[in-house]
Amino acid sequence: MRRAAPWTIGAAAALGLPLVVHDPFFLHLCILVLMWTLLGSAWNVLGGFAGQVSFGHASLFGMGAYTTIMLYLQAGIAPWWGIPIGGVVAAATALPIGLIAFRLRGPYFSLSTLAMAEIVRLVALNWEEVTNGPVGFLITDLPPVRILGTAVNWEAKEPFYLAITLLTLLGLVATYGLKHSRLGAYLVAIRENEDAAEAVGIDTVRAKVLTLALSGFLAGLGGGFYAFYFRYVDPDAVFPIALSMEMVFIAMVGGLGTVGGPLVGAVFLTAIGETVRARFQVGHLVFYGLFMMLAIRYMPEGIWGRLHRLVAGRWQGRGVAAGGPRGAA
Amino acid sequence: MALLEVRGLTRHFGGLRAVAGLDFSVEQGEILGLIGPNGAGKTTVFNLVTGFVRPTAGEIRFEGRSMVGLRPHAVTARGVARTFQVVKPFPGLTVLENATLAAFPRHARRRDAEAHAAEALDRMGLAPKARILASQLTLMEQKRLEMARALATEPRLLLLDEPMGGLNASEVDVASEIVSRLRATGLTVVLVEHVMKAIMSISDRVVVIHHGEKIAEGPPAQVVQDSGVISAYFGRRAGA
Amino acid sequence: METLVQSLVSGVLTGALYAMIGVGLTVVFGVMRIINLAHGEMVMLGMFGAFWGQALWGLDPFVSVVVWVPVLFVGGALVYRFLLRKIIPGGELNTLLYTAGLSLLVANLALLLWTGDYRTINLRYAMSPMRPFGIAVPIPLAIAFGLALLITGALYLFLARTDTGRAVRATSQNAEAAVLMGIDVQRIAMLTFGLGTALAGAAGVLLAPSLYLYPTVGEILIVKCFVIVVLGGLGSIPGAIAGGILLGLVESLGAVYVSMALKDGIGFVIFLLVLLYRPSGLFGVGKA
Repeated sequence: MRRAAPWTIGAAAALGLPLVVHDPFFLHLCILVLMWTLLGSAWNVLGGFAGQVSFGHASLFGMGAYTTIMLYLQAGIAPWWGIPIGGVVAAATALPIGLIAFRLRGPYFSLSTLAMAEIVRLVALNWEEVTNGPVGFLITDLPPVRILGTAVNWEAKEPFYLAITLLTLLGLVATYGLKHSRLGAYLVAIRENEDAAEAVGIDTVRAKVLTLALSGFLAGLGGGFYAFYFRYVDPDAVFPIALSMEMVFIAMVGGLGTVGGPLVGAVFLTAIGETVRARFQVGHLVFYGLFMMLAIRYMPEGIWGRLHRLVAGRWQGRGVAAGGPRGAA
Repeated sequence: MALLEVRGLTRHFGGLRAVAGLDFSVEQGEILGLIGPNGAGKTTVFNLVTGFVRPTAGEIRFEGRSMVGLRPHAVTARGVARTFQVVKPFPGLTVLENATLAAFPRHARRRDAEAHAAEALDRMGLAPKARILASQLTLMEQKRLEMARALATEPRLLLLDEPMGGLNASEVDVASEIVSRLRATGLTVVLVEHVMKAIMSISDRVVVIHHGEKIAEGPPAQVVQDSGVISAYFGRRAGA
Repeated sequence: METLVQSLVSGVLTGALYAMIGVGLTVVFGVMRIINLAHGEMVMLGMFGAFWGQALWGLDPFVSVVVWVPVLFVGGALVYRFLLRKIIPGGELNTLLYTAGLSLLVANLALLLWTGDYRTINLRYAMSPMRPFGIAVPIPLAIAFGLALLITGALYLFLARTDTGRAVRATSQNAEAAVLMGIDVQRIAMLTFGLGTALAGAAGVLLAPSLYLYPTVGEILIVKCFVIVVLGGLGSIPGAIAGGILLGLVESLGAVYVSMALKDGIGFVIFLLVLLYRPSGLFGVGKA
């Protein structure tokens, strides 16, 4: 319980921030950081805990985004229903993807997820009757809502900030819960030696599938939020390879297999990325690439892991390099 | 009814017949030795029985129920545990964590699982090493851990794949002693082994496999005299 | 009928260039078991090399191959020596992720330096296509095809006839045995990575007059490259050549007979099927 204290304080501070800070750009930056924390956590659940490195998570994010926006525009379903449904749809999409990808190991698993994400993108791009093709969907009006008597001002950042904070807290709690559950222990076993895990009675397929579903759900939540915050969804915005890779980088630079890793990674990379983007408009991912390379070379346990080692004097989480055979057949 | 019954077990890998129409049974409470020259198919038999490989044909029945098509975790859940020829510990985890993971599938709460795991470690004499990382154990200790993990799954049948491999003479004696003691607690054991001393001293019966087929069966002393077995291992005398 | 022949010709011509890119990736995998995700960026660098060569110094792209191939060879060797060599012991997945980072770094540096604007190279002598037997063949593509054949032929001779080439093949087949035979495996690895980079860059230079050039083109190319290399069997050069031509044909025929939009999708589906059911490639010669 001692360890929960800093997290609780952090959560309270995060929730209370809009009372103190009103600068829209800063709040926007925080929203982005939080969204990427959620997405990084989603990826980390599968990549860090289950040791399955996916290069196709954008497909799950995008499914959440499309589901939420389509439900709103075509069925009038409000975001607080639409976003969770988006999460569920993303989780459901993850299952057939997993069915195929889990039959492969190591780099081949990763490449197959990339191929499948591209297929999803191409379907979205071309199935115009359903997805509007390259045109995508645009939200012009958000639902009139009153909370505690005051109308919510959708032009301000505050409502979105609070929404993403709650979603991200959910993601972090879910990640923490997984890590300390029996399923989390099973995932460690699978990472250490999958054959041995199976031999001692662990249903490795079920463990991986459940983890994938959770990972997809969280990614889908992020996608749903994206749809409502940015109000525009098209295949190039929500399904590109670069987005999948961003999720990977944030989790890895932050700290694979840790709860706090994606948060640190998101703060670090998003802050730098947005600064570069503001200055140069393009090429803002250059530091993502650079820090990924630096992390793998010098800090495989990620920034969070390194900080923890310095502070607590022991390992927290495992970098890809430090783990055992990563599913090499 | 035999505890484990294998009938007509066959497995092809492409054009290679690794196991061909194998029949044997294992009776409750016995120690069965499974021997044969290298490449005879012994580990494949284990892989078939424990679900790591699917049979091309044949039947495998444990306690009367078929196990064909079950994945390894389900086989373990039925009560059949195995060790591996090349030990497969969870290297980054402690000895206790290794065993606890094996107990988890039957005991959802960590406390219960740990308790059962500790008991298994105790039986294998590994209790003092509970907090040591598995990767830091000696080979003999890792083999004990492998067995402790298997025991933590609460099996009724234990399949040991060359447990004596890499052990020196006195370690072999210790290991043989451990296996006998396990049987005394009610476990049934099938032992694949090359170390003849161990097989001879502890097996009740021996099944000899060559080219995936059974070529002899019976008490160890008798099987070792069998001419078919001798020629399988050593070849025929020139001109005989 | 004419459309069919036209498609086949286009497919083979483009396919040959794809093949060259694929050979670069597969030869690196064969020797070092690395899947280099930055390979697409090497092609991109070749493309931009050709562009700037013409824009700044008036060099004809097909002439500038002579300049860029050695430059990229050396560049690749240095990348191996100073960056990759320390990462490889960390495992396949780590190396893959490292090259992913490198890919992002190079592509985004290019974006920062050269912006995302589309560039083209216009060649005065190549404005209208040739028409042998009534089939339209764009001149730059034809020249590229010819040079690609030359380069691939040179590669074949190198691998088959020279001692170093044999050393490369030996290391590819069994690195441990190669060490025992006295082959300096690290030097071969460095050389091979340089070779792979040079091939990618050369393909980029050759393709430059035929495509729109932009810094993130590597993203699409690397994905196509996987498809080629997996189809042909990872590590197999003839496989990559066959895979490249096959992909070129599938895309060309697909664009005409199925749909422009779905032609990319077909490649991915085939890729997945091969990975699942025939990991050693369509021709069964790969090292998956």
